[in-house]
Amino acid sequence: MKTQRSADIASGIFLSLLGLIAVLAALRIAGSPDVRMQPRTLPLILGWIILAAGGILAARAWHLREEERIIKWPDRSGTFRVLVTLASLAVYLLLMDPLGLPLSTVLFVAFLVWYLGRYRMVWAATLGLASGGTVYYVFIRLLQLSFPVGPLGR
Amino acid sequence: MFFSWDYLLQGFSLALSPTNLLWALVGCLMGTLIGVLPGIGPSSGIAILLPLTTVVGPIPAIIMMAAIYYGAMYGGSTTAIVVNIPGEASSVPTCIDGYELAKQGRAGPALGIAAISSFVAGTLSLVGLTFFAPVLANVALAFGPPEYFALMFMSLSLVISLSGRALLKGLIGTALGLLAAMVGQDPLTGGARLTFGSEELMAGVNFISVIIGLFAIGEVLVNVEEAVAYIYEKKKLDWMPTWADIEQSWGAMLRSTGVGFFMGLLPGCAPSVTTFVAYDLEKRISKHPERFGKGAIEGVAAPEGANNATCSGGFVPLFAFGLPTGPALAVLLGGLMMYGLQPGPMLFTQNPQFVWAVIASMYIGNVILLVLNLPLVGMWARIALLPFPMLGPLIILFSVIGAYSIRFLAFDVWVALIFGVVGYLMRKLGFPMAPMVLASVLAQMLETSLQQSLLISQGSPLIFFTRPIAAGFMTLALLSIIRGVWLELRSRAPEVAEEDEA
Repeated sequence: MKTQRSADIASGIFLSLLGLIAVLAALRIAGSPDVRMQPRTLPLILGWIILAAGGILAARAWHLREEERIIKWPDRSGTFRVLVTLASLAVYLLLMDPLGLPLSTVLFVAFLVWYLGRYRMVWAATLGLASGGTVYYVFIRLLQLSFPVGPLGR
Repeated sequence: MFFSWDYLLQGFSLALSPTNLLWALVGCLMGTLIGVLPGIGPSSGIAILLPLTTVVGPIPAIIMMAAIYYGAMYGGSTTAIVVNIPGEASSVPTCIDGYELAKQGRAGPALGIAAISSFVAGTLSLVGLTFFAPVLANVALAFGPPEYFALMFMSLSLVISLSGRALLKGLIGTALGLLAAMVGQDPLTGGARLTFGSEELMAGVNFISVIIGLFAIGEVLVNVEEAVAYIYEKKKLDWMPTWADIEQSWGAMLRSTGVGFFMGLLPGCAPSVTTFVAYDLEKRISKHPERFGKGAIEGVAAPEGANNATCSGGFVPLFAFGLPTGPALAVLLGGLMMYGLQPGPMLFTQNPQFVWAVIASMYIGNVILLVLNLPLVGMWARIALLPFPMLGPLIILFSVIGAYSIRFLAFDVWVALIFGVVGYLMRKLGFPMAPMVLASVLAQMLETSLQQSLLISQGSPLIFFTRPIAAGFMTLALLSIIRGVWLELRSRAPEVAEEDEA
């Protein structure tokens, strides 16, 4: 998928498959005798549109014989940074319930600031603590929003 | 007689009393903060602060709540421009050019124009509210489900223009946005759709999560990948808009006022719709439409003007019929009723003092907000100078808070995370994001009004062409679609969204 053409072919095929899944899922939606338009009608139409449009996208790219646009994919270190960021966000969400939003925020911000900026641990931890503290006092104490508080709530 | 200069002057004398002025100022400050903080929209902001207003009388309480409402609308543009986080769907069009301007070191002028445009549109719409409320309120009553469907269909046809040179990809994004919005319960029957047996999916996919993922998280991933040190590399920032910026945006401010105000009269026609319409209108009539998406200052002025004009327009049916046009106004209606005030035709005759004091306070509130926001522009714009390794995690943190606080479900944050990856890939593969956002915002109202219309017409789609207003909107939509398809068929260039061509 280094060029726009190959990326369009690949994404067109993927979208067609996605459209097919949507069509199959829409066909399983239960009907209702009381309505003029069945609950499955719009999802079914949209599934077919995605299936057809994906096919057209791939076919058009296949036949295109013009100057290639190169897609800037990340190098190995760039890919690794994106994956670490996504993984840390996923861990943050998983920890949110047991640890609460403030404490998990401290860990998430401290880690990601340290990882992305290579700052000193103390500086990253300070920023993490400031973020967690702000979250606790502004969103939980002051505005009393229903965020998970974890051990701080006990 | 609805309007009288005496009533208006009395209203101003009441609104300008030190106590009421103070509450308007407090409301404007709180509203701006609510707008800037992620996750607390104007409706939840007013709801949270409603109990606080009970310590004062009805007039200062409603003055304060109205100030919170339009203060939040002012503040909402800040995160959209500076860090590409649209806290509300209405801020998405502001992101498109506002964030580009921030990356060019022009966050200050963008924020300044947003404040000026909000002031101009807010004030002009108030003039409309002052003089023509009962006449204009009838517009809302002329709209039934077929007219709403036609209006939503016309709004959906904006994807043609929002897709730029990638119409097919824009169409795919639109279909995906609509499909994602249909996950969950059917609005009429309540039956499960596309849930694959998952209980979480029964709650549906909220469009705010989609927006936060596509824009904020997707943008952070792109910057992380490229190891960006600063959003704006140079140290010199422009603080204030130049006269050239104001001259360039003047027309957009006036046109967006018209669009926002008149569409704001319609229940359900939220700023999330009118801001897209105003943005699209500016792009269509611009002599240089190619600048849109790359930092056109009119691209900030138009949606911000429409946003505030819609808010003021919404007060017309609220006061005249007790008809809230959006969730925030519904909460405000609750506030009015809490004080024993029944909005409707009798409100103007039974409580003229109250109505005119609130209207007068809104003029004053707009001035307060302009005075309050312009000096803060420099402070907000400096955010662009923060090192990205510090700013990136904070953007993700605010995105998480914003997504979680929609319904206080962790599921919504996971949805934002997934759409963050989708947004990252869409940027790489040249798919425009705005059509997907617009589709996910319009989906529910589009489907509900379509189903209601078909129930009225006993299944005949001709209902959209036999009623004059609906037929007008449908014709405009179809013409726009035909023109877009014709241009697409003539073009043989590869499908790439305009923002990715640089």
